[in-house]
Amino acid sequence: MTAPIFEVKGLTKKFRGLTALSDVTFQVAPGEILGLIGPNGAGKTTLISLISGTLLPTAGEIHFEGRRIDGLPAFKRARLGIGRTFQVMKPFPGLSVLENVTVGALFGATEGQEKKRAKARELARELLEFTGLTRHAEQRADQLGGPDRKRLEFAKALALHPKLLLLDEVMAGLNHVEVDEVVALIRKIRDRKVTILVIEHVMKAIRNLSDRLLVIHHGQQIAQGKVDEVLADQRVVEAYLGKRRQ
Amino acid sequence: MKNLQRAGLALLAVGLAAVPFVASDTLVQFGINALLVATLTQGWNIIGGFTGYPSFGNSVFYGLGTYGTAIAMAQLHLPFGVGLVAGGVLGVAFALLFGIPILRLRGPYFAIATLGLAAVMSAIVATIGFAGKNIGLILPLFRGDTLFYELSLVLLVAATGTVAWLARSRFGAGLVAIREDEDAAQVMGINTTMYKVGALALAAFFSSLAGGIHAYWITFIDPGSAFDPTLNVRMVIMTLFGGPGTIFGPVLGSFVLSAVSEVLASKVSTVASLFYGFVIVLAVVFMPKGLLDLFQGFRHSGFRYFAQNMRRFRL
Repeated sequence: MTAPIFEVKGLTKKFRGLTALSDVTFQVAPGEILGLIGPNGAGKTTLISLISGTLLPTAGEIHFEGRRIDGLPAFKRARLGIGRTFQVMKPFPGLSVLENVTVGALFGATEGQEKKRAKARELARELLEFTGLTRHAEQRADQLGGPDRKRLEFAKALALHPKLLLLDEVMAGLNHVEVDEVVALIRKIRDRKVTILVIEHVMKAIRNLSDRLLVIHHGQQIAQGKVDEVLADQRVVEAYLGKRRQ
Repeated sequence: MKNLQRAGLALLAVGLAAVPFVASDTLVQFGINALLVATLTQGWNIIGGFTGYPSFGNSVFYGLGTYGTAIAMAQLHLPFGVGLVAGGVLGVAFALLFGIPILRLRGPYFAIATLGLAAVMSAIVATIGFAGKNIGLILPLFRGDTLFYELSLVLLVAATGTVAWLARSRFGAGLVAIREDEDAAQVMGINTTMYKVGALALAAFFSSLAGGIHAYWITFIDPGSAFDPTLNVRMVIMTLFGGPGTIFGPVLGSFVLSAVSEVLASKVSTVASLFYGFVIVLAVVFMPKGLLDLFQGFRHSGFRYFAQNMRRFRL
């Protein structure tokens, strides 16, 4: 394995008495797609929030490109090149689709280049083309339908020029055709040399996409490794389906 | 088209500047008040309209501006210019100091905290001997309504210019993003704390300068009038009436409502405030996005505009 672009060591998050995440450790290689799975309430979104900086860890370390980042505020991590989408999508509802993406370009990792609005808008238009939103560019974000909202989340996150992209259940609520479209989109993003951490419940998609899997259950990391091996793991099966009666 | 608009604006500014040389004293005095209130409204537009933080503490900035100027002039016998700067510094410093803790609160919690601030400040000032306790301070008399008028106009133009800059700058885009969704803004690389405090400081700057001008013009201040919470309510209503988050909406809204309340107060004082409230209820129901949106929408779809609004906002 080449030197990891991203590394988490002993990451723990407690909400008062409740331990949401306990001693999670993993590495991600540049250009890799790591799938993060686990039953509802396992702590997957908490992990993404800890990495993006919207939550601060109780213990543990996060390293990105050789730099420790767990003490940095969210906006600084975004400028370093960590983009995320939200499970409960967070568009800027009153702004047009184009403006939504322009904001990301104005403040993203390429700061200094895109400070001019015209330049940022140009980049935003490219991303709308890339995510297939061009014909909705002037529409208000809150008037978009479900699948297009997901695309907008992608476009907004990509506008930062992220090196690491955290995707939180971007396929929930989509039909088969739409899931395939999103899978293709994620592959296209990886081809742009973006490292991706993806949370997903749609097994078919995660199987197709991921290079490796990380499984979390009740805040504990229970398995990690190659997709087929992990899915065959006894503890993983039990976490999803319960123990087999003897 | 754009040049035509610019020319129109320049003509309007020149026209407004000429008012004291042609109009009656009463009209000029009304003008000074209207210009200062419009400046306050524009200041509220920065923090409330652009950033989405419904501040009820802008009257505190105004009050600090009046007291800064009044103390410098009445107690320290400094010239007006120095007093104005002192008021401005006081207002901005207060915004920076209290903005950081208070802007951590969101929505109604922020509104309540700022509302408390106004009441507390008035109570504190009333106990300070240097600030004239609850009796107040009397400033040196200066008769020059023309000067006050032009000064107020310059301040309003500066405030509106700042808002116009916000509407097209990176800083302004950050503020709007915070208004639309603060969590999303954060993970898109916006230093939300700094931006919010910056917006509040800008609002404080214009509000406290307006307070300073008003203090010297009126020559008498006391805690009750300097920290008047209804002044803040007027800023909110006028911004919403004109069009929050727009460049000229708040100015238009405050001019229209100032004129309406002036006329009503002189004609039918008993029902004046009742009518004022009635206007606001109608405005909220039929044009929740403000006067500017009404004009644009009406040109586009006529009377159906009202029906569209009622459907869109489920009223």
